Amino acid sequence: MNIAVEASDLIKDFGSLRALDKLGFKMESGEIFGLIGPNGAGKTTALRVFSTLLLPTSGYVRIFGLDVVNDADEVRKIITYLPEEAGAYPNLSGWEYLEFMAKFVVKDKDEVRKTVNEAAAICGLGERLKDRAKVYSKGMKRRLLVARALMTKPKLAILDEPTSGLDVLHSYHVREIIKRYVKEQGVTVLLSSHNMLEVEHLCDRVALLSKGKIVAEGSPQYLKQKFGSANLEEVFAKVVGLA
Amino acid sequence: MLKGFGNFLLKELKELVRDPKILLGMIIVPLIMFPVLGAVMNFSVQTVQEQAAKASLLVLNNDGGNWSEVLISSLNVSLRVFVVNDTSPEDVLAQDLLTAHNTTQFAEIPLGFSENLTARMQGNLNVRGRLNFYSVFSGTSLFASVGSSMVDYLVSEFNRQLAPDVVGTGKSTIINGKIQKDVDPAMLSSLMISQAIAMPITIMILLTYSMQIAATSVAMEKEEKTLETVLTLPMDRFAILMGKLSGSIVVAALGAVAYMIGFNYYMSSITGAIPTATSIDLVSLGLVPSLFGYFLLGVSLFVTLLSALALAVIMSAFAENVRSAQSLVSYIYPLIFLPSFVLMYLDVNALPVAIKVLIYAIPFSHPIITSKAVIMGDYWTAVLGIVYVSAFTLVIMYVASRLFATEKILTAKLRFRGLRRRKQVPSEELQ
Repeated sequence: MNIAVEASDLIKDFGSLRALDKLGFKMESGEIFGLIGPNGAGKTTALRVFSTLLLPTSGYVRIFGLDVVNDADEVRKIITYLPEEAGAYPNLSGWEYLEFMAKFVVKDKDEVRKTVNEAAAICGLGERLKDRAKVYSKGMKRRLLVARALMTKPKLAILDEPTSGLDVLHSYHVREIIKRYVKEQGVTVLLSSHNMLEVEHLCDRVALLSKGKIVAEGSPQYLKQKFGSANLEEVFAKVVGLA
Repeated sequence: MLKGFGNFLLKELKELVRDPKILLGMIIVPLIMFPVLGAVMNFSVQTVQEQAAKASLLVLNNDGGNWSEVLISSLNVSLRVFVVNDTSPEDVLAQDLLTAHNTTQFAEIPLGFSENLTARMQGNLNVRGRLNFYSVFSGTSLFASVGSSMVDYLVSEFNRQLAPDVVGTGKSTIINGKIQKDVDPAMLSSLMISQAIAMPITIMILLTYSMQIAATSVAMEKEEKTLETVLTLPMDRFAILMGKLSGSIVVAALGAVAYMIGFNYYMSSITGAIPTATSIDLVSLGLVPSLFGYFLLGVSLFVTLLSALALAVIMSAFAENVRSAQSLVSYIYPLIFLPSFVLMYLDVNALPVAIKVLIYAIPFSHPIITSKAVIMGDYWTAVLGIVYVSAFTLVIMYVASRLFATEKILTAKLRFRGLRRRKQVPSEELQ
């Protein structure tokens, strides 16, 4: 088994508030793994620690063997991070934005063009990439950003609520992008969502998060069978004692 | 008519007034800043006036007649007069008599003064007495011409007692140890003030604009979460900070150039319309900065701008959105406005010690001080100012770089617990 992500006894405190409470799980390479839970469960905090933005209070996270604290610079070379409800630079065109981002990862001019072309294919925005990002709809912006997160073929893509705020059609499109890319490029994806039904269809395995702790973990099928539930929402309700 | 306006206005006012950053930045800061500014100006003006009241005058009595004694008695009413006989103006400078008598001005009663006055009194209207006044120009200040005005007043009083226009005054200015004949210190001072106003105004506009640009730029990255994205890229985080600062400097510099062109046109429109009684050529008087002086002024402006931008970046790191960032940087404005307003009209060396220390301690004072110092050829003041502001900038840059290197750039928030009714949970970090 090729371990892509390993988190152990991860604690993150904000003052007196414990956002992550001994969080621990492992992810295999090429897997789509979902952290799911309600608002305030600690999903974003966890993803920010994995993406080297926040320092853990204690515990550790290793990404392909690299420690997110001690080897942060190396980790940043193999990951991409998509924050929840992130925007693009409003006065740059979609194309310029992708170019700007690509230049941090690939140096050669031809490689940059190739990478941006790849992103253009992923997002499917076509000629609209020439428009400034400020005129994009929410769905177009999200497709642009998902393409940005995948275009450099990172070893691990960390996507926070990739379909947050999108309508059914745009959500479907973004999910298809992620699925297809993982299949074609072998990228490992760690994502978060509070939409448990959606995650069922997208993730190989999920971890249910409540108050900073993992309360259940496994494939959606396994969890549904284990808790005798029709869907992950019911599983979650049973696990946290709501049902 | 305007249905719902009242309700909407009430909501708007509640929203704005309850925002502690707006309350502080827009209402409380100006309420404190301008009274403080007024108090500083008042204190400074009073001190300068007291100094002027105690002013002394060295009189070169080269006449030795009765009328010169009468004139000296008249001058002695309001000035502490020291009299020396048979000394030329050039000797005063050569023998450093001004320093010896702790004064910056002297008047010469030339040979023949009493003879002329006697002739005039006997009906010869073609002759009159003349008093030659000399004052050392030491820098631009609203009060630089006090001595000259006082001598004018005392001579006019003397004339009023005796006969109209019986004594006329000739005025010269001593600039960098050289006597500039017929250059009126009062006129020179007012001309220099009109020129010197440009720098404080430019500093105010340039610094406030560029701080707003830098703060908005960082806050927008935070608001749009593009900062989170770039912080996870394989790049040097110090490069993000430097990129932000450099971008703001370029835009601010373009703004400053555009502003200076516009302001120059505005000033020349005004001064061009006013007929001048005398023409004072500042270039021939050596009262324009040398090339090296311009260089020092440029360096001073640059390091000050950098310190202001770094400060704005740090402040905006504590803001959650663009509006908060703009309110937060406005807390710095009193530190820009205070020296600008004070130094616009007053010479820093003439200020009371406490205010002088305060003005020197504020980094944003130094380009203005430098602009005045380089005109006088005082390069040491300019260089020391640059060293001080550079050290301040390095400290600020270090703090800013530490902020960008850690999670503080994302999690730092300025809290106004006392102003909030309820303690708020940092919900953003918990999702």
